Amino acid sequence: MMKRIFFIVLMFFVNKNMLAAEAKPLADSLVTVGGHASQLPHPFMVLPFIVLLLLIATGPIFYKHFWERNYHKVSMLLGLVTISYYVGYLNDFKSIEHSVTEYISFIALLTSLFIASGSILITVNTKATPLTNVVFLLVGAVISNFIGTTGASMLLIRPFIKMNRERMRPYLIIFFIFIVSNIGGGLTPIGDPPLFLGFLRGVPFFWVIQNVWFIWLIAILVTLVIFLLFDFSNKEGLKTDGISGKHLVVLKGSKNLLYFVIIIISVFLDPKVISWVPSLSPLPFGIREIIMFAVAFASFKSADLEILKANEFDFEPIKEVAYLFVGIFLTMIPALQLIAYESRVYSHYLTQTTFYWSTGVLSAVLDNAPTYLNFLSAAMGKFGLDINLAADVQHFVIVDDIYLRAISVSAVFFGAMTYIGNGPNFMVKSISERAGIQMPSFFTYIIKYSLPILLPIFAIIWFLFFRGL
Amino acid sequence: MYTLDEVLKNKISGLCYGNRILLPFKAHFLKVVIGSDIIIDFSPNSKGINIINQEGFSDLYFLDYKMLSDTLSKFDAIKIVLVEERKNLFDFKNHRKIALYIGEKHQVSIEETDADILFIE
Repeated sequence: MMKRIFFIVLMFFVNKNMLAAEAKPLADSLVTVGGHASQLPHPFMVLPFIVLLLLIATGPIFYKHFWERNYHKVSMLLGLVTISYYVGYLNDFKSIEHSVTEYISFIALLTSLFIASGSILITVNTKATPLTNVVFLLVGAVISNFIGTTGASMLLIRPFIKMNRERMRPYLIIFFIFIVSNIGGGLTPIGDPPLFLGFLRGVPFFWVIQNVWFIWLIAILVTLVIFLLFDFSNKEGLKTDGISGKHLVVLKGSKNLLYFVIIIISVFLDPKVISWVPSLSPLPFGIREIIMFAVAFASFKSADLEILKANEFDFEPIKEVAYLFVGIFLTMIPALQLIAYESRVYSHYLTQTTFYWSTGVLSAVLDNAPTYLNFLSAAMGKFGLDINLAADVQHFVIVDDIYLRAISVSAVFFGAMTYIGNGPNFMVKSISERAGIQMPSFFTYIIKYSLPILLPIFAIIWFLFFRGL
Repeated sequence: MYTLDEVLKNKISGLCYGNRILLPFKAHFLKVVIGSDIIIDFSPNSKGINIINQEGFSDLYFLDYKMLSDTLSKFDAIKIVLVEERKNLFDFKNHRKIALYIGEKHQVSIEETDADILFIE
């Protein structure tokens, strides 16, 4: 079974043309990206993306300061390689434009939530114990469905660190990433970007919570039980008095919660969702992104300086994400297009098992939003349905929901497998390091935490819900 | 030469020139966090930081940076765990956590971290 899954994942990257002696662009093969047909890239064009991923993984370990000084140049340079290939060789502007549009949406949401949350100071006046931590993480998981995993992570990571300051260990942050930054956001389209893309394509808003809640609950509860085992073995700081105060939770900068509400509402200001919202096409952004950047600006300008200082507000974490993801968004275009093409070609081989594992494995290292869309497209293709037609999506949701469930769950959950699986992971890591917490490296995170902890949980979920062929 | 308490009480500033910070007291340094760099190696061969105890002040060179003022925002602190000279290093009560903020005209404000500042020793 594992061999077959491995083969399916591998074939997305290595198609028969790549292995041919005279490898050449697949001129007769077209892939639909963002509603337009474009020529398939040469499979070797996946290399800049692989190089970037390897550099992100190895840079902070083996050549830290070179990487810190030059990561933005490297990321832009590799992105430029992809742009040059598409524009100069394939004469395909649309794919780049589409990716730039998605990047601007991504970074607008992340920036606005980052700045708005940086202007809010939450203090939890309770002693951190394993049980209070479990309650905190569970509440964080629920909140992430209302303000997104990014918003919840930015808002809650600082109070979580403060609560645990006397007993801080890296596993605390890693379970925060698992639960609040990823798995938690699996219930609503606001929770995680892939689900939002599904909503934009026609998946009903409440479909996810109605069809995934029991899987979400099992994943959260099992992860929390494992967390408890870790946390109970950490005896440090349990005998101290902890922080005490009149109120359990003290919130400073509460006016910024209004900014949060505006950001969340603006997520829906899309011409595809609300017909009267004007499109700014051909500009690569819309009203939504303008509102988000305006809110980010207003939030920063009106922020309480004491709160910014207490939060040690710095643009560096968002700058790092912005630069790295500009490279990731550009260099992953060929990989995503090849996946889209191959998934259609091989769609009749794809089962719920392969959808679950392939979406998951690729979501761990690629952006999970387009990965979700490509596999949704492939799943619909099995039944002759078109992802670009909302009526087809709604039909698919009713008739063949097992595939959508598998794709939705794995796209969100597997984002926790690596630091780059989901936007907030990297930011939580960065904030934690700035607080003096020595976080595990890219590979240590995978080998020591995500593989032994998450993979068995995801395997159990597969066995219980998606093992059918 | 000042004690750390005098520096904090009288709000005496340190100085910053390029990658060099001068603190108006002498101390043993245990941990320095700058950006996402966590420095705990203060041996002479340390690549991240070079600390020289001068007569009456401490001289810190952040070797991986050229201009600290370009790197750190006004809300971004260099956080340090230290023990004042002549105090018992092995008594945790003597471990002090301070935050340095780089200001204008080469001044560095020195503050003891409060409950709001995230800093794990």
